[in-house]
This record gives sequence, structure tokens and C-alpha cells, in this order.
Amino acid sequence: MHPQNTTEPYHAALFAMNTLLEIKNLHASIGGKEILKGVNLTIHAGEVHAIMGPNGAGKSTLSAVLTGHPAYTVTEGEVWLKGKNLLEMPAEQRAREGVFLSFQYPVEIPGVSMVNFMRTAVNEKRAYEGKSALSATEFLRLMREKKALVEMADKLNNRSVNEGFSGGEKKKNEIFQMAMLEPCLSILDETDSGLDIDALRIVSNGVNKLKTKDNASIVITHYQRLLDYIVPDFVHVLADGQIVKTGSKELALELEEKGYEWLNK
Amino acid sequence: MAEQIIHTGEHINLVISDGEALDTVFVQEPDSTLRIHLFRIARDGQALNLRNTLHVRQTGTGCRTEIYALFLLRGNDKAALHTRMCHEKGQGTSAQTVKFILADHAQGEFFGEMTIAQDAQKVEAEQTNRNLLLSDTALMRTRPQLEIYADDVKASHGASTGQLDESSLFYMQQRCISREEGRKLLLRAFTADVVDTVEDDNKRQELMDAIDRVI
Repeated sequence: MHPQNTTEPYHAALFAMNTLLEIKNLHASIGGKEILKGVNLTIHAGEVHAIMGPNGAGKSTLSAVLTGHPAYTVTEGEVWLKGKNLLEMPAEQRAREGVFLSFQYPVEIPGVSMVNFMRTAVNEKRAYEGKSALSATEFLRLMREKKALVEMADKLNNRSVNEGFSGGEKKKNEIFQMAMLEPCLSILDETDSGLDIDALRIVSNGVNKLKTKDNASIVITHYQRLLDYIVPDFVHVLADGQIVKTGSKELALELEEKGYEWLNK
Repeated sequence: MAEQIIHTGEHINLVISDGEALDTVFVQEPDSTLRIHLFRIARDGQALNLRNTLHVRQTGTGCRTEIYALFLLRGNDKAALHTRMCHEKGQGTSAQTVKFILADHAQGEFFGEMTIAQDAQKVEAEQTNRNLLLSDTALMRTRPQLEIYADDVKASHGASTGQLDESSLFYMQQRCISREEGRKLLLRAFTADVVDTVEDDNKRQELMDAIDRVI
């Protein structure tokens, strides 16, 4: 039951406790090399979690494992999304269940237009949810509405997916797709990389506008800068495949100042 | 070998999508234009085994030749295309786009011969061959061969054979699109730049439907 549908505070409190994602003792490797060495993390609806850490700590591996990248093998541990076993699902099913990955390097797909790509995506998700496909008119209206959110130009509709897009356009396009698919859990992998300050502001605004009390985000970033715009409820430090420290948003500032070295001492 | 003459200033547009193996010489007179669209698309219950030869001679100056070819083969289909593009006179242009998609045990072969004669100056000629292998047992042979005797020309060729792009498939999976559906999107995209060159709307739709039935 949605909290807004009830006046009983008890229900609202229960919902606030609602667990969206539960990662338990997650170990994962690539090519026989262990990268994640026992990650534990619980995310509730309405929360924003930042994951920071030095290069090679396993930040991108964590997002790859959560989204079902075939190159990684989970050797131990569990991941539950709204009580469902995430690791048993093929990648597209995870997406249809509401996990969204905003890519650090969005892929260019020559010859597949944005319209065609997005219509397929939205209708695949709707079919999974037992809903009928959107009509062409409904779909285009939805595109227009969501594009406004990230100030994306209309001309991109008929362009091939990400082909010839600037760095900023690619990241805006990721957030646009997020708006179209309305995920319950968004993973923003180094969304700030390669963005100038204007694009960073637009992209962050888009993310903030999409935030509701029913969804959550994981923001993976190397720098504190992004967290000035997307303010996290929790900051976790991932180092050598484990979360070694968790704190509030002030932890990000401390890391910015002192680096990651002091955590090892 | 059949011979077809394209007369001075004439503009010929051919769409060949069924029928027997081709073996034709096209003789272009000055300032003529020849566009050939060749499609070989796998059919149910009948393996293809076709060798196609397209010999084009630009015997006058200022000719334009465009060749677009798409082969979509599966099962035990075999098909070959041999283009022989001869620039005998100057100021001409030619552009060839040849694509093969091979599944199962299909075999494809492209032999792209191009000659630019000594007095065929100011010629611009290009040839592109791109192929997709959808199985480990499909086989593609490709051989571009350029012989250029004139010194003031632009000639280029490129050939590549690969598989469907895994990172594109993964990206689409992240957007709720199954690998199967993603594969179809990528294959349609691969065929589009050849299919889109067909001007007749009905014919183009017919070809798109035939491609969709196979992929």
C-alpha cells in the first residue's frame, strides 16, 4: 500500500522501512580474479546512496554484477530486489523489475533510431507488467514530456542511439531513458565523468526531479563534486572489494580533503 | 553472358530480388546513370545456391554507377557476388555497398574487382563490404581487388567481417530489451542502409517484410 493512500502513521512508518535492495556478502570475480570480497548493503525506498572509492576498488564491478553483466561471476552471496532473487534473473528481467543502469560510457548503436529503441524498451517493460503497448501518439507524448526534463533537443529523436552525441548529450540521454522507464532502483555509474558544469547541473536536476519516496538511487562516483548536486543520505567507501566505511554526506567532503589513504591506517 | 546498354544520358534503376543467378554486362554510354539493388534473401524450404556476376563498363565519360547488394543467408545457403567495375573513361563515379548476413552453415563470397584505365582521370570510386556472421559455422570469403592505372583518381575500399556487437546487446538488455529482440533491432539496422536505397515504397516494404521473416 502506498503511504499517500493511508492516513495511518503506522503504515507510513512501515513503508519507510521498506527494503528495496539487499546485498549480502557478495563476492564476484572476473577471469578468476576476485574483485568483490563480501559486500553488504541494504537500500530502502526513498534513499540515495553514494559509493565512493579509489580506482580498482570494485565500484564498477558492483554495478556490473547487479545489472547482470556476463563477464562477471558471482562466487558467493545473495542479492534481493523487493524480495526477489536478483542474481537468478537475466539482465533484461532485472531492468524490467526496475533496476536501471546509467552507463559511464553509453553505447552507440548505429542504425537504431532513438524513437525505435525507446519504443521497444518501453513496450517490452509494459508487456512484462501485463500492460498493452503504447500507441504511437501516446508514446510520442511521453517522449516529449520526459525530454523536457533533461533539456534534450527534439532532433535527437531520429538520430541513432548515442551516435555522434557529445559527452553531455549521452549522459542527458541516459537520464532521459531513466525517466522513460521509471525504475525503482537507479545505478548512476560515474555519471559526472566527462561533464561540464552546465551539463552536470542539467543531469543532476533530472535525477533529483525523478526522485520519489518509492524509488532509490546508487550514485557511484570518484569525486565529491557530483554529491553537491545529488545529495546522498549515505556515503559508502568501497576499498579492495569491501565497504570499509559508511557515513553521512559529510564523509564525502572528508574524503575529498584527505583522499582514501587514511582509511587503510 | 547477357548484355545491357545504358544509353547516353539515360538513368536506369534496377531492383533484383528474385530469379536466377545473374550474369550480366552493363555497358554505360556517356553521362548515364546505373543503380542496381540486388537482394538475395533466404527462403523457406529451398536452399540458395547462386553465383552472381555484375560487370559494369563505363565506356563514356561522366557516368555514375551505384551498386547496393544485401545477402541474407542461413541453413546451407551459398551465394557469391562478383562485381567487375571498369572505369574505361574519365570523370565517372562508382559506389558499391555490399553486405552479407550469414547464419547457420551459410557461405558467402564477395569478389570486388575494380579497374581504372590509364586515361580514366578524375574518377571517384569506392567499394564497401561489411559482413555479419551469426554462427561459428558460417563462412565468408571476401576479396577486394583494385587495379588503378590513372594517376588523378580517388579510389577506396573497405571490408570487414564481424559478429553482432555484444556491448550493444547488453546496453539494450539494460533497457528491458531481450537479446532476441535486440538482435532483431541490430540486424534491421545493418540491412537498413541498403534497403533504404530502394525508392519504390511498395518494393521496399516487401523487402523489409522478407527480411523480417528471416530474422
